[in-house]
Amino acid sequence: MKWLALLLGVGLSAQVVASDIINAKQLLTDMSSAIQERNFDASFVVVKGKGMEPYRWLHGKVDNSELEILSRQNGAGLEVVRVDNKVTYFEPQTQPYSIETDAIAGPIPEILFGEVGTLASSYDFVLGGKERIADRAAQLVRLVSKDEHKYNYWLWIDIQSALLLKAAYVTQQGEVLEQLQLTHISVTEQPAQPLVELSSKDFPMPLASLAQNDTAQKLQNNWRIGWLPDGFKLLKSDRHKLDLNNELADYFLFSDGLVEFSVFVQRPLSGQRASGALSSGATTVYVHNSGAFDVSVVGKIPTMTAKAIAESVTRPL
Amino acid sequence: MTQSNFNVKDGQVTSSILDAEQALDNASQAQFDAEKFARYALIGDAMRSQQNQAPCIDITASLADALADEPTYGEKTSGQEFRQENAENKVVALSSWRKPLAQVAIAASVSLVAVLGVSNYSPQEQANSDFPVLQSTPLTGSVSPVSLSSEPALESAEKGLRELQQQRIGALVLEHQRQSRMAHALAQQAQEEKEEQKK
Repeated sequence: MKWLALLLGVGLSAQVVASDIINAKQLLTDMSSAIQERNFDASFVVVKGKGMEPYRWLHGKVDNSELEILSRQNGAGLEVVRVDNKVTYFEPQTQPYSIETDAIAGPIPEILFGEVGTLASSYDFVLGGKERIADRAAQLVRLVSKDEHKYNYWLWIDIQSALLLKAAYVTQQGEVLEQLQLTHISVTEQPAQPLVELSSKDFPMPLASLAQNDTAQKLQNNWRIGWLPDGFKLLKSDRHKLDLNNELADYFLFSDGLVEFSVFVQRPLSGQRASGALSSGATTVYVHNSGAFDVSVVGKIPTMTAKAIAESVTRPL
Repeated sequence: MTQSNFNVKDGQVTSSILDAEQALDNASQAQFDAEKFARYALIGDAMRSQQNQAPCIDITASLADALADEPTYGEKTSGQEFRQENAENKVVALSSWRKPLAQVAIAASVSLVAVLGVSNYSPQEQANSDFPVLQSTPLTGSVSPVSLSSEPALESAEKGLRELQQQRIGALVLEHQRQSRMAHALAQQAQEEKEEQKK
């Protein structure tokens, strides 16, 4: 009798866990489709430590084409426009350029607009409590990293409209590093006027094919990155000059679907500089001086992880 | 010489009128300077803190004069930009929104580093004290040792290097931002290629 109750209990709790996962995943899927389907005009702020950046975010559908504008409201400004599968970035002092992709790379990870399920290999989906966010009832969903080498990502989703209301990068210890919070959202029948105007404008042609497999192969042999956190894959590697200071760097871009990090291998600066880390919000910059060359790792990953990656870079034997 | 003498005297007269040491009559009015009188009165008020609001000193006239003599910089470039934009009018019609913001761009890229520099004293970093923290900005208020000041070349080399490193970190962060914009497209591309290979 006892073991029957135990078996029943285990069975029940397993079921609860299973439905929990389905619920959390279902909520995320609902959110990404809601973001793609609805006409809305939203404002949000991104809080990084003591810094704060306000954004405006418009989305709508006009004549079967999906339109989206994301603009940063402070400082030099940044404006990103998406028309279906073409995303154009407008920045001061840089010619506007387009990339052929179906999501804007902004403060919200692109994966949340698409196949969230692909994250299941690196993150657990956990359903949290209900809270009131931006005057709406919201359900917390936590993307919990399966190891300690990444940050967790928490999302608060509007129960009524399934739209994203708040999101945060949280350390394994539960400390909030960077938050995104909607301050206002209006969901409307008709798309907002700036979106309607977009459909009559032309944008630069998307950049030519992004992947260059041959050169990528070659450059990988130039340096050996000995350790990577689980789930991260190489997306790109090349050698190019940095825009701001014209320095040459061997460059590697990695992603696990949710976050990206970059590895730069450069000629060392003269003089003995100690290795060290800087951080702003969830973004970490780790500069490692390994004598003959400098390795820098930049991305939304914990300092410990960035340090381990940077120190694992060696010349192949 | 006589001119300056006269000016001093002029000021004296105005001052003594203000202090009621001298009557404002036809004789003194010739040497009375209304502007100076107003300024003296303002100074007096400010010193006795009779004015509740901050003293309002009108410097617009002198500024306008100074500006009129100033050569105009960058006039040619803005003209070029305008022509360029005309040519691409169709494509970059949106850019008119952001045109006045272009001047902030460099400042923004610099502030990127500054922000990083400041926030490196975050509590999280202090907790993980096993990580050396890059000191990209010198500590304010610290007095440099005397021995260092006798070697200015060494000091300035150190400063130059620090600036170089700051510049590099700024460039790295910017580059990471730009490159990660392509990440999603690249990941999708890789996924598609994988699926094709499976077929």
